[in-house]
Amino acid sequence: MITLAQRLKKQQEESSNGHNRISIRDRLLVKESQELAQLLPPNCTVEYENENDLSNFTLIIKPTEGYWENGIFKFSIYVTDEYNMVPPKVKCLTKLWHPNISETGEICLSLLRQHSMDGLGWSPTRRLKDVVWGLHALFTDLLNFEDPLNIEAADMYKHSKLEFQIKVEEYVKLFAKN
Amino acid sequence: MSENSRMDENDNDKKEVSQEKMFTLKKWNAVAMWSWDVECDTCAICRVQVMDACLRCQAESKKDFYGKQDCVVVWGECNHSFHYCCMSLWVKQNNRCPLCQQEWSIQRMGK
Ligand SMILES: [Zn+2]
Ligand SMILES: [Zn+2]
Ligand SMILES: [Zn+2]
Repeated sequence: MITLAQRLKKQQEESSNGHNRISIRDRLLVKESQELAQLLPPNCTVEYENENDLSNFTLIIKPTEGYWENGIFKFSIYVTDEYNMVPPKVKCLTKLWHPNISETGEICLSLLRQHSMDGLGWSPTRRLKDVVWGLHALFTDLLNFEDPLNIEAADMYKHSKLEFQIKVEEYVKLFAKN
Repeated sequence: MSENSRMDENDNDKKEVSQEKMFTLKKWNAVAMWSWDVECDTCAICRVQVMDACLRCQAESKKDFYGKQDCVVVWGECNHSFHYCCMSLWVKQNNRCPLCQQEWSIQRMGK
């Protein structure tokens, strides 16, 4: 008797918490994944490990110009159950020399900040395509280095563009070729 | 080129709205009312029309207990509207309107 009651209670909890929230995320993902596929930046591709799971994918960016030109940079993107109240979790899988990406893969991108008061952080009006375009811009925009994650890289960029370029290329050769 | 298209993409909605407003101000009121309705049509959080139940309520199978009437619309002082369900989840983490970033305070609720 007790175990049956416990089991029913557990089922109820699951259906009123976890289950429904997951289905909200999945419902949003069905639309957003299509939109993303249509509006993907040039030089970017998206790979799903499991075609039935839209919440987990890899973004591959191949810059055709700029400091990181000809590198292949992979990002894992995980859309958690709380989406779209919270931003996706993004990690850079390719080691690189970049002021806004640490060597261990953390990313400094304003729209991925969950609690932000400046209006640039996450908001449920943002979509996966905004996240992907934001990551893409990390390789083209070189304006926003005020709040760097890799301080050494930011300093180097500030003091010697040439030294910065050499270090970036060295990392690309070592880590960002396939 | 990529940068420009990205900016266009993101700012498109806002630009359209502001252009429409500037245009309608010179015209007469009925036009402004019409554009107003269009702007508020869809809940920007769950992307379902505000007059329908929100995505969350649609997904829940609790209709038997509460009925569908639960899911109301809320208008902020900024005049943006959302499902009350959607907005109450969002303000828990950030008490700002997700569309205009103004401090969120409720102007009215209803259908
Ligand atoms: Zn909604
Ligand atoms: Zn609702
Ligand atoms: Zn607003």
